[in-house]
Amino acid sequence: MSIIKIENLKKTYDSNGIAVNALRGINLKIENGEFSAIAGPSGSGKTTLLNIIGGLDKPTSGTISLSGEIINDYNPTKLSDLRLNKIGFIFQAYNLIPVLNAIENVEYVLLLQGIGSSERTKRASNILKEVGLEKEMNRKPAKLSGGQQQRVAVARAIVSEPEIVLADEPTANLDQDTGSALLDLMHELNKKKGITFLFSTHDVMVMDRSERLVYLRDGIIAEDKTK
Amino acid sequence: MQERITTTLAWRNVWRNKRRTVLTLLTILTGCTMIILLNAFAKGGHDQMIEDAVAVNAGHIQIHEKGFWENRTIDYAFKDETDIEEILNDLNIKSYSKRILSAGLLSHKGNTAGAVIQGVDPEKEITVTNINTKILPGGRYLKESDLDQILLGETLAKNIDAETGSKISMISQGFDGSIAARQFEVVGLFRTGNSEYDNTLLIMPFKQAAEVFTMMGFINSIVIRADEISSINTINQNLKELLSIKSDSDFEIMGWDELMPELVQFIVMDDISAYIFDFILFMVVAFGVLNTIQMSVFERTRETGIMLSIGTRPSQIVKMIMFESVIIAVIGIALGLLIGYSLSYYFQINPLDYSDYTKEMEVWGVSTTRWPAEATLLNISVTALITFILSFVFTIFPAKRASKLNPIEAIRQL
Repeated sequence: MSIIKIENLKKTYDSNGIAVNALRGINLKIENGEFSAIAGPSGSGKTTLLNIIGGLDKPTSGTISLSGEIINDYNPTKLSDLRLNKIGFIFQAYNLIPVLNAIENVEYVLLLQGIGSSERTKRASNILKEVGLEKEMNRKPAKLSGGQQQRVAVARAIVSEPEIVLADEPTANLDQDTGSALLDLMHELNKKKGITFLFSTHDVMVMDRSERLVYLRDGIIAEDKTK
Repeated sequence: MQERITTTLAWRNVWRNKRRTVLTLLTILTGCTMIILLNAFAKGGHDQMIEDAVAVNAGHIQIHEKGFWENRTIDYAFKDETDIEEILNDLNIKSYSKRILSAGLLSHKGNTAGAVIQGVDPEKEITVTNINTKILPGGRYLKESDLDQILLGETLAKNIDAETGSKISMISQGFDGSIAARQFEVVGLFRTGNSEYDNTLLIMPFKQAAEVFTMMGFINSIVIRADEISSINTINQNLKELLSIKSDSDFEIMGWDELMPELVQFIVMDDISAYIFDFILFMVVAFGVLNTIQMSVFERTRETGIMLSIGTRPSQIVKMIMFESVIIAVIGIALGLLIGYSLSYYFQINPLDYSDYTKEMEVWGVSTTRWPAEATLLNISVTALITFILSFVFTIFPAKRASKLNPIEAIRQL
């Protein structure tokens, strides 16, 4: 069964009274364990598509299913629970909670899931060790470099072992070496833990490393290539 | 479990902008302190006014023949029976004093003036009132042995050009309808600060009044002093029941509030202005909290978007923000109560002295010159409760708004 199934998905924005068709009929299936990227130029609709998959935005029409469940009509609480239990997010701007340190940021998701203290700390510290941040666990985001913050974001996204991790331009704010190391890390987690990764990117390096590339242009899939 | 992260985040959010939090705490603290102090002064001042007014002449409770208070003539009198004394002795009161009351015309050096004549037992009277402390220098209070000696209100004496040592004439009507006329020696002038008493009152020994007015064992009033002002209603109730059982006379039993309606009016007016001021202070506190939470929520729009996007429920966002408000409110209220109570206690021990304004207060029939504060448990708890509820209620709107943020739009905020 496909982990993500999208049928005839359309999204129209109202921009100062003008209707903008961000997505114009997307049909897409993402299988479990894929390491895929949605690419395309700015304004092609890749981030909009990723946000709709993650339940952060609503489509104008069409259906979207996650693990066989149509999520179009979920209310805000149900969408929060879906994001908490099935989806991990990595954002371009890291988006960590500034008042919490690295391990607390990672633990936050587990706390929301109601996981006990010792289990939570064990899992959060293990995952931070896996991403190479065992010495930075007690530092607040402001005391971490961009690459380190993005590693914490990756750790937060995967600590609850979600079915899919959605990463919006995860390397955009990182230098070449840091971005490459981060991709290595995510690829390793994909292979080791079987977590599905779906990127939205226009970074050539991400496109090269992805096993499947879905290319969007003007809100429709122009090319869908599995390597 | 999830409450822990809510409280942890709330606590850290409260202190991330220390200056703003401290300013909000100061707003709540100052508001609570001022409300407690204001209400403590109102309570302490009013109690003092009542005590002062009661102590000058009126007493806490008066017993009359029914109809006396409306007509104020000597004709409304009741038999001075031992049954009544037994009832009074059984009640939990401080003391009582019998009075004969009449009106008459005074004359001295060709000047005349109307007067309210009060016959009192000199010894018993000063257990109910403090008139003996109001005698002006050069005069003295009445003695048990006095007969033709009287006391006059300062202004009344001035109106007939009398002074201590003057001989004045009085003419009135006796209880039996006869003419009551006598010459008296003024042994003292009194100044109570209450213009009604100072302008019209003549005080003479009870024995003399009984004879001059041919009272035949009747009296017009019994004035009672209670131990505490709070026990007046109970005493009043008990008196009504016992007097109706033991005596054939039809009595009217009046508390200080019925005897001095002008004082009640003053207290009510003062209370209303205090409530208006309380309301303004409560609103200042509430909008202070609202402003802080609004600013804090606005600054964290992006962060709230992140929290929502990684699976925080909208209700958890509401809880976190409400908890922030609770933290600020509880600390502010606790400090406000502490300072408010301490200041009230200080002014309870060291009352404000406004003897410079005695003339203005006389207009209201009040002779109080010391204004103590008295912080009651009710005042403190109501202040704390209203401040807490207002802080809580005024946080609901920004908290709800934050919980309804669109995560994507929120994350895009700088």
